[in-house]
Amino acid sequence: MTAVDNTQNPARSDEGAIARFLRATEIDARMLGMVAALLIIWVGFDIYSGFLRDGEGLFGGSFLTPRNLWILLVQTSSIAVMTTGMVLIIVMRHIDLSVGSILGFTSVCIATMQVFWLGPMLGVGHPSIWIVTLILGLLLGGAIGAFHGTLIAYLGIPSFIVTLGGLIVWRGAAWAVIRGETVAPMDKNFKLIGGGISGITPGSIGATASWILGAVICAAIIYAIYNNRVQRKRFNFPQRPMWAEYFLAITGCILALGVTWLVNSYYWPKGVVDRYVQATGIEVPPEGINIAFGYSVPVLIAMGVGLGMSFLATRTRFGRYVYATGGNPEAAELAGVNTKKLTVMIFALMGVLAAISASISSARLDSATNALGQFDELYVIAAAVIGGTSLAGGLGTIYGAMLGALVMQSLQSGMTLLNFESATKDIVVGCVLVFAVFVDQVYRRRVK
Amino acid sequence: MNRKFLTLAAGALMLGMSSMSAQAAGKNICVSWKTFQEERWKTDEAAIKAVVEAAGNKYVSADAQGSAAKQLTDIEGLITQGCNVILVVAFDSDAILPAFQAAADAGVKMISYDVLVEHPDALYVTFDNVGVGRLMAKTMLEKGKSEGDFAFIKGDKGDPNATFLFQGIMEVLKPNMDAGKIKNVCETFTDGWKPDAAQKNMEQCLTSVNNKVDAVISQNDGMAGGVVAALEAQGLAGTVPVTGQDGDKAALNRVALGTQLVSVWKDARVLGKAAAEFANLIADGKAATELPGVGKFSGGAKGVEVNAVLIPPNPITRDNLSDVIDGGWISKEEACAGVAAGSVAACN
Repeated sequence: MTAVDNTQNPARSDEGAIARFLRATEIDARMLGMVAALLIIWVGFDIYSGFLRDGEGLFGGSFLTPRNLWILLVQTSSIAVMTTGMVLIIVMRHIDLSVGSILGFTSVCIATMQVFWLGPMLGVGHPSIWIVTLILGLLLGGAIGAFHGTLIAYLGIPSFIVTLGGLIVWRGAAWAVIRGETVAPMDKNFKLIGGGISGITPGSIGATASWILGAVICAAIIYAIYNNRVQRKRFNFPQRPMWAEYFLAITGCILALGVTWLVNSYYWPKGVVDRYVQATGIEVPPEGINIAFGYSVPVLIAMGVGLGMSFLATRTRFGRYVYATGGNPEAAELAGVNTKKLTVMIFALMGVLAAISASISSARLDSATNALGQFDELYVIAAAVIGGTSLAGGLGTIYGAMLGALVMQSLQSGMTLLNFESATKDIVVGCVLVFAVFVDQVYRRRVK
Repeated sequence: MNRKFLTLAAGALMLGMSSMSAQAAGKNICVSWKTFQEERWKTDEAAIKAVVEAAGNKYVSADAQGSAAKQLTDIEGLITQGCNVILVVAFDSDAILPAFQAAADAGVKMISYDVLVEHPDALYVTFDNVGVGRLMAKTMLEKGKSEGDFAFIKGDKGDPNATFLFQGIMEVLKPNMDAGKIKNVCETFTDGWKPDAAQKNMEQCLTSVNNKVDAVISQNDGMAGGVVAALEAQGLAGTVPVTGQDGDKAALNRVALGTQLVSVWKDARVLGKAAAEFANLIADGKAATELPGVGKFSGGAKGVEVNAVLIPPNPITRDNLSDVIDGGWISKEEACAGVAAGSVAACN
């Protein structure tokens, strides 16, 4: 045995092509694993559904069609928005079990304001209704969250207990507001937040705007990579090899433009086009009219929230404090972080996010019921955990959690598409949750 | 002892019979409620009280406050107070059996109201729950679609009602399904009867069959809301008939707007009125078997055969929307919000 050479990282000499690739591009292997799992799930569902019924999917099924993927993204958005906050809460070594109930309560309040107060007062469909109720809803969600946070931080009640109480209290409060009735219909402008079609106004931005957005995202990726390189040079940090930079830029752009192409390939259904033709009185060319949906509003909201929260988590003092406190609360406190204030802020943020989800869900359903958002807390926590958030605190990423939400929703939508029994669905989703965490643990141990 | 009791009972019965034609007043009609926490029982109570007092009888009530033990003592108390007939909304249909036996021993007539109590001497008055399913399907065949691709959005898999409803639905649709006229293209349970879950299920259904759905059987109004939202997104709302039940205000508005075909309505007041009328008749000495519409029912968990009156619910469609408005269940403004003038008779 020769002496160990300490000048070189011993892992480098015998690492394989994949490890070298990951090191060069600095891609998180866990995220790559999740993307791979997602692709396997998607392809699997498409092939399977092809056996049952011929479709227009990539592999002859009905899963990998623009339409299904477009709907899948919309279905994921409500949970995805909430997971971004849940990640930070779990990172801070807390938990929030009340998000589903806060969602239910705020959606019922928003709907009540629209249908029973502002509607009759200002006239149904008044252009200010949607924005007023939305802002009040967000404030309400934030206030509830801040209240939970205060109980946790200043009265020292464990977050599990406070939010467990919240889970029960706000569900009851939602019932009490309208005595269990369904409030409908929502304001016609507000409805667009859900991505549905209100009359002939779609809750999506159409083909042109989507292409512009795709191009902007592509440009932003390239700029971010360029800027990153400049900064590293400035501070004398090690650089990624040039090929890796190109690879990342090209992959990012292909992804952004690919998704844009996808959402632009889903056209308005016939019934809506007929209504549009009738309302506008335009001439129908012999080949018919194809109007693309483009990015839907809830998906844009989720993307915006994800971006904002990622920025907050990784680029601001607030975010660094959150991770520092999660890693070691005592050390953070001794270092001068006001962890109590931080706790209140983080729960208030979660409340606001739950209110955003409440707007998406109720707008999408075009009504609000006290049952809205039931069990959502479980899906939100599950998505965060599948996305690599450690329940021990200190670890977790926003994009990982959002991907986790997409994985969960893909499984559920796919199995519904295949007409699986709902008992089977529950069993599969539960097993996947446990399995994902197991794989994550194994990976972490090996990395250490 | 036994014989003495029987003679006494027979004497009392004869006395009751003879007095029936002469004067039917002055009896005690008692109700043991399981809880007043749920708002609906107040509606039932008002209906029962009105009928009982109109007949000159006395209405006595006890609220068990959601406790099986309190309900037992409540009923014992009611027996001692000299009730002639006791209606019971059982909190726990098994734990209540000793009270039913005590009442039977004391010669007090029992009616299990809305909740089945499997005691052979008790009369069971309820809405016809399997009938709700039958009515949904029947209305679909008569006023919606009688053939084509059908989607079935069922309630929670843990709730036996979802299965009962489905049985009733299938009973009616079966001939057309066997003849190949109706095809079952999607069939899913919906977690917790949640509207948003029903919406997702309907979206996946529409995707899987590329919008080739001609009719949707949704098992309640809340889920129908989710189904209609999913149809709306595909521009199909209003062309695909959707069923529901409960008489939800939002659903009745959809019926008026034409996006939902029917909401099967179980009016608590109709049930209360019917049960109270039966209670009056029984207090006057009429046997349960002589009541109008009475039949045998043995569909409970233990299969005990009881006398039962199953009240048919009212399927509310555009044609009879005035029933709910005139009945004061919903205001005309709520039911007709957004309805084009002249399109629905009840809204004019």
